[in-house]
Amino acid sequence: MKNVQEWILLLGIFGVATLIGNWIGYDVLPLEAIPGMLVLIGIALAGLILAKVLPWKLPSVAYIGIIGIVVSMPWMPGSEWVIRSTESVNLLALTTPILAYAGIAIGRSWTDFVQLGWRSIVVASFVFIGTFLGSAVIAEIILRAQGII
Amino acid sequence: MNEKQKNIWMDWRLHTIVLAVVVLTELIGTHQFTVGPGVILLLPMLYAMVIGLILFFTPIVKEKQAKNAEPLIILGVTLLIAKIGVIIGPSLPQIIEAGPALLLQEFGNLGTILLALPIAVFLGLKRESIGMTHSVAREPNVGLIVDKYGFNSPEGRGVMAIYIFGTVFGAIFMGLISGFLATITPLNPLSFAMASGIGSGSMMAAASGSLIAAFPSMEKDIIAFAGASNLLSLSTGLYMSIFIGLPLTVKLYNALDRVRSRKGNLQPQPKMKKKIGG
Repeated sequence: MKNVQEWILLLGIFGVATLIGNWIGYDVLPLEAIPGMLVLIGIALAGLILAKVLPWKLPSVAYIGIIGIVVSMPWMPGSEWVIRSTESVNLLALTTPILAYAGIAIGRSWTDFVQLGWRSIVVASFVFIGTFLGSAVIAEIILRAQGII
Repeated sequence: MNEKQKNIWMDWRLHTIVLAVVVLTELIGTHQFTVGPGVILLLPMLYAMVIGLILFFTPIVKEKQAKNAEPLIILGVTLLIAKIGVIIGPSLPQIIEAGPALLLQEFGNLGTILLALPIAVFLGLKRESIGMTHSVAREPNVGLIVDKYGFNSPEGRGVMAIYIFGTVFGAIFMGLISGFLATITPLNPLSFAMASGIGSGSMMAAASGSLIAAFPSMEKDIIAFAGASNLLSLSTGLYMSIFIGLPLTVKLYNALDRVRSRKGNLQPQPKMKKKIGG
């Protein structure tokens, strides 16, 4: 129970920072975005609790993603309201406070981070090339098999 | 979150600093400039991270704040994933209609592991390489790694390094390689259009934009294929990573690491293998 209280408080604090950023950066009045923020907090909280309660060892983000999809899919009663209200919370307004906290936290392991240096640029290039080529090759095989190209 | 980390919500110093950073960076706003086939995006979140990092080296932020920031990253990411979920939900019917070609093509994202992981290990990277190469390191993947290994872990640093690279240079990089690869390889532009959808709007726009520039007559098909595939990558990316990508990366990393440590010793002593992932 203590954990759940802590989650609610922290999600609330995070929500306030998001709503203010959402206001300054994307011109959405906080009052207008509060319902959407509460919906997102509810989804996140449900996922965090499920990950703790259920026996499978899946990360909480797996549950959160599924809950988010289920409550907003067209066959779900009330999904229109969920979509409309959460639309007022901008995706980028959520990422700004995340990376502000991340910047502060990264300081602790900054020297390790710097050591990655140029190597991370090399690896990143191959990460993107790998995905791009891998997907293109598989797409080519399937499209040819289907006779589309 | 363990016992020691409780009452983080009372760390008002931390939350006030972050709020101030958010206000400042959102006031600066988004800036972008065009370079060749793509754009370089400077987003408030990037300034926020840089300012946060600078503050860590000033007396304003103490060790305690830096420690307390970590659970807030994780909770922030849960909200982000919730938001991505409600973006995907409404388009579920289109995703189901997308058909086998698009769906199977998602497995191509595993190409990143096969190509980039050996290179990362060869460059001497340790467990960072797991975070770096298990996926294209978009938001859902960052969420998974941070959730599973923690933010201040080698895996966490790895995924953040690629995430930051992708955010700043991803669009321009994808713009460059898509035009280049589509013209020098025999693969069909439509295959590359599908490959453009890697789960990031700006990267997809840049990659498909270059394809359209090279093959203007196929514009409509390229946009349709890229858009559908991007949506699919966004929706399946997280689960692909959880069930296939990450386990595969860990297995492959352990194998490669074993080879590396064996080569490191002058006399191979299989029974005295170095601790894996040390």
